[in-house]
This record gives sequence, structure tokens and C-alpha cells, in this order.
Amino acid sequence: MSIFSLFGALEIGLIFSLVALGVYISFRVLRFPDLTVDGSFPLGGAVCAVLISHGTSPYLASLAAMAAGALAGLLTAWLHVRLRIMDLLASILVMIALYSINLRVMGGPNVPLITEPTLFTLLQPPGLAEHIGRPLLLLAIVIVAKLAMDWFFGTERGLAIRATGSNARMARAQGINTGAMVLLGMAISNALVALAGALFAQTQGGADISMGIGTIVIGLAAVIVGESMLPTRRLVVATLAVVLGAIVYRFFIALALNSEFIGLKAQDLNLVTALLVAVALVIPQLRRRLARRPN
Amino acid sequence: MSMSKNTKRVSLAKLGALALATAFAAPGWAQSAQKSVAVATIVEHPALDAVRDGIQAALKQAGYEAGKNLRWQFQSAQGNTGTAAQIVRKFVGDQPDVIITIATPTSQAAVAATKSVPVLFSAVTDPVAAKLVPNWEASGSNVSGVSDLLALDKQMDLLRQVVPGAKRVGMVYNPGEANSVVVVKQLQTLLPKLGMTLVEAAAPRSVDVGSAARSLIGKVDVIYTNTDNNVVSAYESLVKVGNESKIPLIASDTDSVKRGAIAALGINYKDLGEQTGRMAVRILKGEKPGAIKPELSSKLELYVNPGAAQKQGVTLSEALIKSAAQVVR
Amino acid sequence: MLSAQQLQITFNPGTPIEMRALRGLSLDIPAGQFVTVIGSNGAGKSTFLNAISGDQSVDAGRIEIDGADVTREPVWARASRVARVFQDPMAGTCEDLTIEENMALAQQRGTRRGLAHAVKGAQRELFRERLATLGLGLESRLSDRIGLLSGGQRQAVSLLMAALQPSRILLLDEHTAALDPRTADFVLQLTARIVAEAKLTTMMVTHSMRQALDVGERTVMLHQGQVVLDVSGEERRRMDVPDLLAMFERVRGEKLSDDALLLG
Repeated sequence: MSIFSLFGALEIGLIFSLVALGVYISFRVLRFPDLTVDGSFPLGGAVCAVLISHGTSPYLASLAAMAAGALAGLLTAWLHVRLRIMDLLASILVMIALYSINLRVMGGPNVPLITEPTLFTLLQPPGLAEHIGRPLLLLAIVIVAKLAMDWFFGTERGLAIRATGSNARMARAQGINTGAMVLLGMAISNALVALAGALFAQTQGGADISMGIGTIVIGLAAVIVGESMLPTRRLVVATLAVVLGAIVYRFFIALALNSEFIGLKAQDLNLVTALLVAVALVIPQLRRRLARRPN
Repeated sequence: MSMSKNTKRVSLAKLGALALATAFAAPGWAQSAQKSVAVATIVEHPALDAVRDGIQAALKQAGYEAGKNLRWQFQSAQGNTGTAAQIVRKFVGDQPDVIITIATPTSQAAVAATKSVPVLFSAVTDPVAAKLVPNWEASGSNVSGVSDLLALDKQMDLLRQVVPGAKRVGMVYNPGEANSVVVVKQLQTLLPKLGMTLVEAAAPRSVDVGSAARSLIGKVDVIYTNTDNNVVSAYESLVKVGNESKIPLIASDTDSVKRGAIAALGINYKDLGEQTGRMAVRILKGEKPGAIKPELSSKLELYVNPGAAQKQGVTLSEALIKSAAQVVR
Repeated sequence: MLSAQQLQITFNPGTPIEMRALRGLSLDIPAGQFVTVIGSNGAGKSTFLNAISGDQSVDAGRIEIDGADVTREPVWARASRVARVFQDPMAGTCEDLTIEENMALAQQRGTRRGLAHAVKGAQRELFRERLATLGLGLESRLSDRIGLLSGGQRQAVSLLMAALQPSRILLLDEHTAALDPRTADFVLQLTARIVAEAKLTTMMVTHSMRQALDVGERTVMLHQGQVVLDVSGEERRRMDVPDLLAMFERVRGEKLSDDALLLG
């Protein structure tokens, strides 16, 4: 495997670790199965790409993408809290609607970002190769996002959101407006995912309508792999775990891409990835069992 | 056999280390003096596979054969843009002599990932709109390629030869595919000039192709399709509707004629691949992609299928059949 | 302090399983009073409690707490005035959160939750102090997940949590019913102490006539969605379970037949 492949896995892994953080908030903290992310990831990419191609600064465009993602999350949460639509169903409805909305936002299926300035061209450290500069910038963004999340969930408001997901009835008895907390949590979650989409579009030469397919699967895989590597109840460690999970998952894909020397072909990519992830999930279990067995 | 748990732990670790070492020790590319070509596609289906085969054929004809004096690598992103991103990065890291990317998302990812490794796009309908190249002249950058843009007036000529008096043209396409949207937009301007109207039917996934086609029953005189990935993947469902409801089908690629379209004045995608392969050979021989003008497909062929015509309620004129490059029976 | 006026609640109205849970129930509780509420199954005790906490909306009637009309307020809006300990120790705490986080949640009840750190140093000290009074050693386990505690321990902490913020009224919903007799006793003693210390207006629903008479200053008995007995003061002090039963029969003209109520 070349250094490029390695840094490539790191780069894409860091982008998807933002997705993993967002998915962690909805699935684990709020216990809200949220499929909106398949739509809010490309929404972030679309909004960002369209704005940049019209001359907006990449900073503003990325922030606007987060705002758009937050709106998508709010919509899903509102459908559930106010209209009492089942959570999973509400998220599917918004995800489906976002397909058309994204096409509208982009004015077509694809918005290229090749010659335009991006966060990465603006913040590229001079003298450093691009393929190293990008992961570095992404690492900084992910660190900030993780620390901000850790801090937020330690505040009174953040604790209220965690209580809502843990035991909504008790939370209400403590004066927490659980409906409002779900809205807030879902907004934050999808804002993070949309940011990931905006960053992805800026590194991949544009936004494409197909970029959202499978986002929830990648997000969940990252969360599960991460939790299996670093089992914990503490939020601060859990956020680290899902970030690592995303990177490790993409690393497995890179491994799978580099296995043609053992005769695997392009079509086998998904199978190989699945096998590697399965191994990753089983090994910690094996270790625990080995540790427990008396000698 | 019982091993102590320590031994078991050590063996697990050893296994893991071995796996990692193998991956990293996989034969590196840049070192060898062999020429190397890396091809990436977003998804696999007959037309795109034909492109890949064409590329390989052209390379072989020029004396470059995989396994002998050429490192050849092919990867498919299985429809996932995240994977496409990683594939492209891997390729850039492998530093091949040329990277060939099939379809728009893969090409954009490659162009964004490197300004130095030569990149050739293939089967991209409008590379200028996709910002792969600034215009149709030699780009001066590391990018060139072969586009499958079709001159639509000739397409409509064929259409009117097969279905004279057709006024309403239906088109099934994936609104999420750049290549198809380009064609739709062009038809929207072109058809009114010919006194015809366009009726669109969207198929966001390949499973939607059948129902999209059915939505056109009674509303159109003929269905025209381009090399939309979804449509090509599911062309049989279109043929079913065409045969059952007697709606003539005109396609843009010759393979679809074998699958049930009446006619196509099409790019043979294997030829497109060969054209791309020939451009790749020029790069292998030392030319820079920036000095090569992006090309349109040079060879259009007419394929006809009289059997399909009969099923779909149309008779082909003898003149048309004679002029065809191939008649599918 | 608490004024419930003519509360009506009917479940599944107009269907074969229609159930009129509260039929014009009225009750006034002055500030600082400790009232126990008993009644057989279906008498409406839990429904009444849920109406006051806001978990159950009333079809008719009015609920005033400390002069404010809270009839239409949702649970979380009423929470600044109402503290509650549930029967199920699981329901009253957040399993995944630590002891100090649970207590912080209770302490912030009724306040506007902002971006200040949820558990600060000074608060921890306070929590430790209060936990120490339980004598269960929990003061050194502040960062343990509350799910690790036993049912009785959780109820004890729930009581502390209920008393952390000054509330107008404390609702206890058969909060010892899920505990073994020894632990139930411990929690009951704790209840009496906490209520007395903080001078809380308290309404305790219980299934046990014994408990109902032993604890508090006033006992109210519900039957078929209405108050049928209301004893306090000297009269109550002289009463024992059989006396209560006899009184019931006199008032209702029927025998009380709920075994659990009788034997409890």
C-alpha cells in the first residue's frame, strides 16, 4: 500500500468521522434511528458547491452547508415530535424529499468544484504536499468538532439532551422540554453530517447527487467498529472511538483495494471490506473471551 | 489441543502483523520500468465494461499487454463515491503513466486529486460542463480524454426515419446523471425546432426504469434513450414495455439494439474504449495530455433490429436496413 | 398549596371498555401538609397523581398549585412546581448517566438550562453531603452509573433528587412498592425525614393501609374516582386499620373487598 493510499484512507476517514459523530448523536445519544443523513450529506455538498461556484467564500459556504443540514435534521425531528410520525419513518421521508431538493439546489445532478477556491486550497500549508495537507486540515477540523461535542454534552443543555435519549419520561419530570431537545439534537447531528458533505465536495472536485448513497451504512459501521475497539460508557471516550472507527473502516477499504495481488478483482471489493470489518468486530470479542478463560 | 492463552494471544497478534505486512509489502509500482495504466469506473455495466475492454484492446494492438510489459489495474467503485475517492487516491499514489477514468464523478475526483499524473476521461458526455477541461481545445493541463457526446440532430434524423410522423418523443433517464441531463437539456431546445415535443420520465434508480417507461404509455410516439447508466443497466425492462405497448425504442448505443431496441446510431462503446486506448498509447509514448485535444467519438455506427421493429409495430425501410453497419436478427 | 377541583377523567369514552377513572374528584392540600392517599385498584389513585404531575390530561376540572392554574401545562412546564418519585426505580432515573449527572438534572429542574457546565465543583460538594446522609456509601461513587445501584438505592437517591430543588409539591407514587420490606422501611423513614426537614407539601399514594396511617398527617381514601374518606388530626391518630375499614363501610354502605388493600 502506498503512502498515498494510506493518507487517502485517513483523509476520507476523517471526513466520515464527522458523519460518525453525527450518527452517534442521533442513534446513540437520542436513540433516534435517523436515515436523514443519506440526504443531508449530499445536501451539505450541494449547498457548499453551489455557493462556491457562485463566488461565495468557502468558509461561508461550509457554514451555510451546516445550516442546511441543521434544517434537514429539524424537519425530521419536527415530523416526529409535532406530527407524531414514527422516528425512522420521518427520517426516511425527509431523506427521500432531499433527493429532489438536492437536484434543485444543484440545478442538475452535478456541480463541479475544480478550479474554484476551497477551504483546502485556501488553508494549504505552503511547502507541504497536498495529499498530506488535506488530512492535516481535516484532522484539525475533526479535533475541534470532537472537543466541541464533548464540551457541549457536559453542559446543562447537553445533559438535558442526553437525559431525553436515556429516559424521556424522567427528563420531562425534571422540567426538560424533551421535544425541544430532540429538535436541537437532530439539528446538531445533521449539521455535522452536512459539514462532512461540504468538505467531501471540496476534496472530490464537486458535489454529485449520488454522493449520499450509503452514508448511514458508513456512519453506523464507523460507530460500531469504534465501539467494538474502545468499549466505554463515557461520552468523551465514545466520541474518540467513533472517530477512530471511521478511519479504521476506510483503512479496511484501502486494504481491500490493495489486495489484487491475491487474485481478488474489482467486483470483490465490497465482500472483502465486509470480511475485514467482520474480523475487526470479532477480534475484540475473542480477546475478551481469552482474557476470561482460566488458564 | 490447548494452547496457553498467552500463546493464543501472540498468534493472533502475529497473524495481524502478517496481514498488515503483506498489504504494505504488495509490489510497489513506481519502481518498475514497466509502463502502467490504471483504470477506474464508478459502476460496471455493459457499455462501461466495453470501454474498458476497448482500452485494453487498443493497448494490446500497440504492443502493450497486461502481464507482459504493462502493469494494468482496474477498480470499480461499486456506485459509491466515497470508494471512488479512495480508488483515485490509491491510483495517484501508485504513480502510473496514465490514469483513465470512466464516467463523470470518477473523472472529477481524479482531476481534483492530481495536477501532475496524466488523466484521461472516457465516456463523459460534457467534459467542459463537468469542468474537467476548460474547453474543447488542448487544455495545457494533465487532462484530456474522449467524450461520448452525440450530435443530436443526426439522432433525431434516425428517429424520424424509423418512426415517420413522430411528434412526441419520450425519454427515460436518471435525473441524477450528468450525462443524461445534458442530453435532455439539448433535446428540449432541439425538438421544438423540428416540430416535436419531449416527454420526460425520471428513473432515479435502475429499478425505476420499467415504471418510468410505463408512465409514458399513450403519451409518446417513440422512446429515445441515451447511455444513461440506469437505463443501460435495466434496458430489458424498457424493451418489455416497448414490445407490450407497441412503442418503438431508439437507443444511443449499439449494444442496446441487440437487447431489443429497433435502431441506434451509436457509439460502439468498445470503439470508444479503443479510441481512448489509442490516446493512452500516445501518453505512454511520451506525449502530454495537455497537448492533446479532447476528442469526440469518431465512429458512429447504425445498428438495426427488424425483429424488434416488428414487435414494436414499425416497419423498417429497405434502404435503412441496407445502410446499417449491422443488422441484428 | 394544591387545589384539585372537580377533576374528571374518562378512558376510552363511548366504547365498551369505557372507564370513568376520576368522577369529579376534589381535594385541597394546604402548604406543608403530608397526605397519604389510599384506595383499591381502579380507585383512581395513580390517575389522580398523573393528573397532578401532568402525565395525564383531565377532561374537566381545574388544578391549581400555589395559586397558579396548571391544568393545561405539560409535564415539563409543571416540573418547577412538582417533584415526583416513581414507583419503578428504573423510571425515575437515567440509567446511563452517573449519580452526579442524575442529581444535576434534578437540581436544574425549573431553571433555564444553558451552556454552563452541568456538574460543577460546588455542586459536587453539595451532592456528596446529601448522599452521605443516606448512610449507603454513595457519596464516594458520584461518577458511577446510576444503573449499577440497587432498586432501593435508586429510590433513595430519587428522594434526595426530589428534595434538591424547592418545589411546591412532592408526589410519591407507591415508591416503596417495588422494594423488599427492609429496604421499603428504610426508604419510608428517609421519606419522613426529608419531608420534615424541607417542610415539603407531600402527597403519597400507597397501597398499604398500614403505611397510610403510620406516615403523614392526613389520610384520604379514594373509591371509584372520588374522595370517600378524609381523616386527620386527633381522629386519625386514634385510628387503626380495622377502624378505617369500618368507616369505609359506613360511608359506602358496602364492604371493602380488595385483599391487597386489607392485608397490606
